[in-house]
Amino acid sequence: MILMRAAFLLTLGCLTSIVTVARPVSYTGGWTVIEESDRQSSSVLVHYTPAHQWSVGPRVELNRDDDFALYSVQPTWLAKRWFGADYQGNLYFFGGAGIASGTNGNLRDDRFAAYGGVMADWETRSLFASYRARYLGASHFGEQFMQAARIGFAPYEGDTGDLHTWLMLEIDHRPSDPNSVAATPLMRFFMGPLLVEAGYNLTVNQPLFNFTYRF
Amino acid sequence: MNLLIKNIAMITAVCFCLPATAQEHHAHDDHATHDMHDQHDHEEANSSHASHSGHTASDGPILTRTKDIESALADGGEPIVADVLGVVCDFCALAMNKIFSKREEVAAIFVDLDTKALSLVLAPGASMSDQTIADLAVQAGYRIAEVRRGDAALGNAS
Repeated sequence: MILMRAAFLLTLGCLTSIVTVARPVSYTGGWTVIEESDRQSSSVLVHYTPAHQWSVGPRVELNRDDDFALYSVQPTWLAKRWFGADYQGNLYFFGGAGIASGTNGNLRDDRFAAYGGVMADWETRSLFASYRARYLGASHFGEQFMQAARIGFAPYEGDTGDLHTWLMLEIDHRPSDPNSVAATPLMRFFMGPLLVEAGYNLTVNQPLFNFTYRF
Repeated sequence: MNLLIKNIAMITAVCFCLPATAQEHHAHDDHATHDMHDQHDHEEANSSHASHSGHTASDGPILTRTKDIESALADGGEPIVADVLGVVCDFCALAMNKIFSKREEVAAIFVDLDTKALSLVLAPGASMSDQTIADLAVQAGYRIAEVRRGDAALGNAS
């Protein structure tokens, strides 16, 4: 069990940088795996969507800066979706509660931790913009606030089932980090149920690899 | 701070260079869109090929003709085209496919991102109301703007 946990955390630790905001609520009855990584932490969320306005699932987050892991359950609520013939906009609220546990030699006791935040996005088939903010309180493991904004465009419009390619730029702000503002250009590849992102954080010199799979 | 300014300058330069390439691509697409849809095959979720016929009629998009849809039409199923709001990516198309494919009334389905239209052919003898189609779209997370059936869906309406 300890070996499996270590392997899982090591895998998470290999994933670096950025915040993925890719449809945190699916279709009714759908399952989604979302791996999110940023320069502070990496996480995996597996969520189920019981109704089209909300999803819930277990989430594991490895906080590399402060050496703790957070095991939580995260509900996400689609508060509003704006529809148009050529665009879609979304406003989500999310939260989570669970146990924070020391990693990488951090011997502090396990403690209750909770977080909450907001996500918003707007996209057409060739333009994209998003914003995300989160506050995390993890007792003696610390408190964190982050916010990130992203813009992107698709150099071509792929049809159903084609490979969709996006060029994006994300700026994130973490007041507690020595490099409080960081920039990450990235490419998003999207095909069928799979979304993959690859990029490089120019401020802290870290590669990124993110993915979302919907089934 | 200098590093940040340097980074932002680099990114800005990249972002200003790339749209020119994108614009060229779009110009090409605009010119060739209809021919492409006549000739170009698109791969469906089930790996069969979807050959597009003409995409739009005066009243809106018409049925997208995939192999499955042609087969279902040949079996005598009713063709339906629904304009869908908010369909901008493959996740949207996947959601619509998953929800509608579960219904026994549906013999074939294709969500076309180019026309933002849901093409359905019902099983022979089956029926599906506009309200049911709208409700299923909501379950997928989207909204139906208009539904066309029969000749109107096929583009044969006068």
